[in-house]
Amino acid sequence: MSAQIAPHHLESAGADAVGLVAVGERLPDFELLDHAGNRRRLSDLVGGDPTVVQFYRGWWCPKEQAFFRRLLALQEDAEVAYSRILSISVDPPQVNAAFRAGLGARWTFLSDPDRELQTQLRLRETTDTLNDPYVPAVVVIDPDLRICAVYNGYWYWGRPTHDELVRDLREISRALRADWEAPTP
Amino acid sequence: MSRCWLALIEGRAEGARAFARASTLDGHEVGTLAAWLHKAKPVRSALRVDERLIDPEGGPAWISLVLAPPSVRLPFDDLAVQQARRHVLTRPPLAAVSTLLRDDSHFEGAITVARPDVSIQWLRDDPFARIYPAMLLSVGAGILGSVAAPTGPTIERYGSDNPWPSAIFG
Repeated sequence: MSAQIAPHHLESAGADAVGLVAVGERLPDFELLDHAGNRRRLSDLVGGDPTVVQFYRGWWCPKEQAFFRRLLALQEDAEVAYSRILSISVDPPQVNAAFRAGLGARWTFLSDPDRELQTQLRLRETTDTLNDPYVPAVVVIDPDLRICAVYNGYWYWGRPTHDELVRDLREISRALRADWEAPTP
Repeated sequence: MSRCWLALIEGRAEGARAFARASTLDGHEVGTLAAWLHKAKPVRSALRVDERLIDPEGGPAWISLVLAPPSVRLPFDDLAVQQARRHVLTRPPLAAVSTLLRDDSHFEGAITVARPDVSIQWLRDDPFARIYPAMLLSVGAGILGSVAAPTGPTIERYGSDNPWPSAIFG
């Protein structure tokens, strides 16, 4: 399965790269524990749908709490639009499960408590030596795990708006769905 | 194209791909839970199920089997059915879940699978049991496997004749 995203779209993404996460590259098909403690592979979670992958600092960060409200609004669209959301932090599954439940999120949260993926992707936020969290980043990927958009959320205004995420998901869906042009008589 | 069908039947499960005896939690046998891969419906009571649930190597399980009463059908788009799917995504995942259906637009039941090592309370609180009556059953080995939980938040079916959470178009 391959989705070809128009080059003008790639140029309009929020950033070219955060750490080693760069537009045009593929995310590694990593395995992490989900919020229920099950080992999950990225490609299985993505399935055949465009997916928003959010790397976030942790439940304690006010900026993340604000941004999650944006993702919760996107959830209402995504649940009927064959699109998926994943959130990844260094918090353990139990913490992610409690945070997810409190938010009312209905997507999968993943845990990287050993920071292996964080190291692999060079996404450690070096300015926080207390929590060693992820640099806040949002990437939008196609079913081949190809990165179509990257947003650097270290400064809050670098994060994608609802409309920017919709635009990214629309472009991937347009390339992905053979029946994008509605069948007519 | 073959489709996967599931039914709780009395008697022999002729031609079934997998089957096992089913009983109530207090040990009364209620029949055989059977699954078929057929193009046509194998028995009158059969409903389509997500094929990934069926595993002849699967271990014993508890199930919540929700079935629409005779002559009762709700559209898949009914708000209660939508909300039940949201609740399933909100809860900690169990071994497997699938809606049950006959056609491309009506919700006619659901099966939720748990292994005997989790609390039966999770099955008693099955969100789909708020729509139709549920039976809590113990099912022997040989029919029900485990399927990774849906990623979320998608509650729709891509290819509307598929049981949710199947994500395959067709």
